[in-house]
Amino acid sequence: MVNREPRGHTLPLLVTLIILGVLLMTFDVRLQGGGVVGVLRTGTQTIIAPVQQAASYAVNPVADMIDSLSNLSNLREENIALRRELAEREASLVGVQDQLARLEQFEQLYGMEAAGDEIGRTVANVIGRPDAFDAALIIDKGTSDGLVVGQPVVDTNGYVVGTVRSVTRGSATIVPITADRQALTVMVGDQIGSLLSQVGLDVMRLEILTAREPVLVGDEVLTSAVSASFPAGLPVGVVIEDAAPSIDVLSTKVDLFVNPDTLRLVVVLTWPPDPITASSGETILPAETSTTTTTTEGDGS
Amino acid sequence: MRLPKGLIVATVLLFAVVTQITLFGQIRIIAPDLVMLVVILLALTRIRPEFVLGTAFLSGLVVDLLGSSLLGLRAIVFATVAYIALRTKERAEIGRFAVALWVGILTLIGVVLLVLIGTLFGQTSLLGPNVARLILMVPLANLLLGGLLGPVFVRVVDGDTTAFRFS
Repeated sequence: MVNREPRGHTLPLLVTLIILGVLLMTFDVRLQGGGVVGVLRTGTQTIIAPVQQAASYAVNPVADMIDSLSNLSNLREENIALRRELAEREASLVGVQDQLARLEQFEQLYGMEAAGDEIGRTVANVIGRPDAFDAALIIDKGTSDGLVVGQPVVDTNGYVVGTVRSVTRGSATIVPITADRQALTVMVGDQIGSLLSQVGLDVMRLEILTAREPVLVGDEVLTSAVSASFPAGLPVGVVIEDAAPSIDVLSTKVDLFVNPDTLRLVVVLTWPPDPITASSGETILPAETSTTTTTTEGDGS
Repeated sequence: MRLPKGLIVATVLLFAVVTQITLFGQIRIIAPDLVMLVVILLALTRIRPEFVLGTAFLSGLVVDLLGSSLLGLRAIVFATVAYIALRTKERAEIGRFAVALWVGILTLIGVVLLVLIGTLFGQTSLLGPNVARLILMVPLANLLLGGLLGPVFVRVVDGDTTAFRFS
């Protein structure tokens, strides 16, 4: 039964609010998240950030406990797999350490210095997500840790996660590549293509417009040097369907290495290294990056 | 001493926003929309309908500003849901089960509107791999919380200990 009493001003008010909302959405689309909308977003996040960080200290153990209980069987299997992987990695580490020692010896011998292509890294804890339908991640590092809008974000294994969308003094919002409307420029072998998110699917679509050769299941997808948002060579995912070029166009599916829903810790890369360059949108090639490496350790779970 | 209703509502909404982005932001198996739940339950109180609509719109704006989606998307959805809630609140005044069901149905309308309007404005990220599960899970979680907390919420906001006591 619907309320038939006089509605007062509620209907005209609702219509006004809907018009206002549509205007705001149009502004946001036109300004692409910048301008007044960007200032409002940053302001609200700055106000909420301290409360959110305080709450996350109390909430994280509870969230971890519930997560662990719900994934108990998966955790056991994951534990066995991780132990096996650890043994393999330890074995290869010994080999790498030996190679490093030899490299250092040669560098000293020939008087060589580091090329200076290290990228600054800031480790951050994921402290929240806006709501169930928003794929964005909120992290506990902000401008005070050197973060700026547009910087690339990877997980602790170096797999691509997304980019910094907005940043306040003590927090930042990350948009995963699966939720980004912009395509990511990637390479498979020596072919360059675009990686696009797909509606209702957790795999992404790879499109190569100047394809010369087929791509096969298992081919690794890496970020390209052509990309303005990511340094070259970061692993993104793996091809899950064979595809051959039709004329010179190729389309296939890519399974990502990272599931943003399960992330607790991320690494923000100082890319491009100079914030002024970052805000101006200029692209810098990997060889031109800064030698400074600022690593901030998070106390993540 | 009786606290002003505006202060109580603002505190509850802040609590809902913070709990939503921290606790339920990390536990993905339980997925209520606490802010939408508060907005719906406000319709059951004796607060003026215009204030309820305005609060719903502002709450939506805050959630939009904290996330990555379009500014105004949730504001429209929450205001619309609040309006439907105000127009149908008699259905919920029968009993606790009715409150729960009413909250669940309104949340379902809300999440469907969110996905529809978001998609119209190019927010394809709303249609992620879990969209079907979320469209069912969010209303279900709100239904349970609405049934449990709805009557208490009304009593606290209205300062009336006799409100929503079903025999």
